Amino acid sequence: MAGDPMKKQTMYFRMVTSSLIRRRSRMLVALLAVAIGATVLSGLVTIYYDIPRQMGQEFRSYGANLIFIPSGDGSALSMDAADAAADFIPADDIVGMAPYRYETVKINEQPFMAAGTDMEEVKKTSPYWFVSGEWPENDGSVLVGQEVADYIRLSPGDTFTVTGTDIKDESFSRDFIVSGIVQTGGTEEGFIFLSLSDLEGLMGNEGELDVVECSISASQTVLDDIVKQITENVEGVTPRLVKRVTQSEGTVLTKLQALVYLVTVIVLLLTMICVATTMMAVVAERRKEIGLKKALGAANKSIVMEFLGECLFLGGLGGLLGVVLGFVFAQTISVNVFSRSISFQPLLIPVTLAVSIAITALACLLPVRSATDVDPAIVLRGE
Amino acid sequence: MNILELKDISKIYGSVKALQNINLQVSQGEWLAIMGPSGSGKSTMINIIGCMDKPSNGSVILDGANISKESAKSLTNVRRDKIGLIFQQFHMINYLTALENVMVAQYYHSMPDEKEALQALERVGLGDRAKHLPSQLSGGEQQRVCIARALINYPKLILADEPTGNLDETNEGIVLDIFKQLHKEGITIIVVTHDPEVAEEAQRTVVLEHGRVARIVPNKE
Repeated sequence: MAGDPMKKQTMYFRMVTSSLIRRRSRMLVALLAVAIGATVLSGLVTIYYDIPRQMGQEFRSYGANLIFIPSGDGSALSMDAADAAADFIPADDIVGMAPYRYETVKINEQPFMAAGTDMEEVKKTSPYWFVSGEWPENDGSVLVGQEVADYIRLSPGDTFTVTGTDIKDESFSRDFIVSGIVQTGGTEEGFIFLSLSDLEGLMGNEGELDVVECSISASQTVLDDIVKQITENVEGVTPRLVKRVTQSEGTVLTKLQALVYLVTVIVLLLTMICVATTMMAVVAERRKEIGLKKALGAANKSIVMEFLGECLFLGGLGGLLGVVLGFVFAQTISVNVFSRSISFQPLLIPVTLAVSIAITALACLLPVRSATDVDPAIVLRGE
Repeated sequence: MNILELKDISKIYGSVKALQNINLQVSQGEWLAIMGPSGSGKSTMINIIGCMDKPSNGSVILDGANISKESAKSLTNVRRDKIGLIFQQFHMINYLTALENVMVAQYYHSMPDEKEALQALERVGLGDRAKHLPSQLSGGEQQRVCIARALINYPKLILADEPTGNLDETNEGIVLDIFKQLHKEGITIIVVTHDPEVAEEAQRTVVLEHGRVARIVPNKE
């Protein structure tokens, strides 16, 4: 006597899952191929999209990429105008903004260039500076460029006297302590760096700047937009991109992204070949099973659907594994290469899953089509 | 009434004549044995009767319908609906349990029914082995699952290819007892065999030689 019929989908699901679970040693090979492909895919895509951020941070080590200088009328750059210009830069993108005011002073009656600045910001905009001794932390202590230190024989901890005339032509004289000697390999080695307030105190006025160096973590397009906004909206400030930094940054990023893109495509192709080869082997060793199913009355469509079901299961499971392992892979690369962690992109879950399933289905298409050519009579030949 | 009628059947592969002018009628409920040495045309004949091949000439009338000119797709449907196949090598799907192997035949035929499949296994004495995989069953048990699978869709004809060829004497006896029971229930059985003892259990034995019917031997009633 017949019982309650089972839904055909339930039996289909049972057949597909049983094939995967009970033939796990065979299927693990195919799963491994899909999972490795999906891992490298999701990992590389994560890195691909994170490269601009990671490399942007890395490029900031090479100094400012945007400077504010006074407009061409010969007047100084006012602090207020610099602040107004800074408002056009997204706060999260600002790595550092160092204001500079340059004045000529004398040491032992020899003229030298003094730069008043904000030392904490200089550390951010010029991380490549090498300081022997300490960075100045209090008013009255200064950084001396290597050339200046060599010329007047100064070492960290020495005291020296700075003289000169202020804006009212009145003489000043003040002692400073050498906190550190700075080496940059550039013109900075001929400067004395003191705090902006110290220099303003010597010169007798405040609020005037010669240049503001900005280090911004943003793409060339964003930087161009910032320059445009400031030019149009802020008077008294001329923003200029440091082209040698921004252009080489753009070139390196484009090449790096193209490389990652190429590797991703190659990995996808290799995965497809690997899965297709595995599935061909699976179909070949299951010829008798296919013949039996056809002998039992299975239509070609049923056979194709069963194999496709297995492929989709493999693709889905491999894709899920790939999402998790890919993030671990990307995180490991990011931490080891860039020394920074990356954030997980939720969009990668559906994308990796969809690509894994599509690649697996595509790779299965050929072997599955050949599965339908199996002659059911092979089961009757006692082979 | 004849369930199967072969009229002047020939099958030619290139220059090889595998079957020549075969004429045979099998009545409903009959138990027929086909014997013959290797190369006598047995495989070709069961392929044609089992709807897995078409004759080069002649007609095959199965359950009143001429199927000799049907397409491969139509033959699949005829095989699914009217024929139960039993194989020498058992041919079970190795990742499905005994019960699921029986249900697969239901799945391709109409709707899987677990209770009915279990009853079919109980009928061949394997109710307690339903959840076992083929690798956990003996050859005789696997052949009984194969019989349960062949019977599950109530076929008009059971076509068995060397059903006891891979079995020991005890299991051969068990399988033949099941066949006797099926015969009593009025099911038509065609058995291809090398074993004269198996053939003797049938009502008639058709002996093939060189692709022709050499003789038809009536056995017992």
